[in-house]
Amino acid sequence: MPRVVRKAEVAWEGSLSRGTGIASATSSGTFELPIDLPSRISDKPGKTSPEELLAAAHAGCYSTSLAGEIARAGGTVERLDVTCTITLDEVEGKGHLIVSSELDVHARADGIDEAGLEQAARKADEGCTFSALIRASASVTVRAELAS
Amino acid sequence: MAAERRASVTWSGDLLSGSGTIDEVGSGAFGPLDVSWAARSEEASGGKTSPEELIAAAHASCFAMALSNVLAKAGHPPERLETSAVITFVAGTGITKSALSVKATVPGLDADGFRAAAEDAKTNCPVSQALAAVPEITLDAQLDS
Repeated sequence: MPRVVRKAEVAWEGSLSRGTGIASATSSGTFELPIDLPSRISDKPGKTSPEELLAAAHAGCYSTSLAGEIARAGGTVERLDVTCTITLDEVEGKGHLIVSSELDVHARADGIDEAGLEQAARKADEGCTFSALIRASASVTVRAELAS
Repeated sequence: MAAERRASVTWSGDLLSGSGTIDEVGSGAFGPLDVSWAARSEEASGGKTSPEELIAAAHASCFAMALSNVLAKAGHPPERLETSAVITFVAGTGITKSALSVKATVPGLDADGFRAAAEDAKTNCPVSQALAAVPEITLDAQLDS
């Protein structure tokens, strides 16, 4: 079983409210992204944030898991569109917590019906390692439908 | 206050030979980025990102922001923090470890005070809390001046 490590780095300057940072993908070199506090908590983020990066990670983890489950159920994936929404909220007595991750799936696949997709979507959630992690402290919901 | 953050991925084909793209994120700050099972599970990432690398970026950035806050509240706002997170993923098992490290320039703070602040940030940042089920989260904290 391969053991894989993936690394990212951040350089941050200044205080939380006025400072800024750069998050870089060290393993792949595929991104170098500015971050700051307003982008994390405001309604109109102009930069990315830890929660947006987690949303991208969860959507990526889940889509690979679902592709595997649909194939296992005898279907052929043409295209999966997966959107993940992560919510950060202030919880009384606990400060800021990630409270939920919602996955929304539109699947274009041959050889699988709605019931089969629903089952594959549930198994994919069980098999996605990140769903299991998040579920330990927050809610994870999945909505999946076949795209016509 | 509740902040929602969104990302969308498109996947084509099966798990092993298919591939995906992180098409867009709510902020518009990045995308498209390619992802694949090979980029995730093989030693070299082949120039593609992976969920684990994105989690590493989320954890390193959450930790940096939390630490800047703890330090400022203690009266020692940092000049510069260099943080990193290394996520270990074992296919079939999941994420087994996140190793955080920080090198910091914080005027007027001693090593013990800095270590306590870094431990506080590691424990309390929202991504650490969300990753609480990861078996091992470690911290290597180094104060440069």
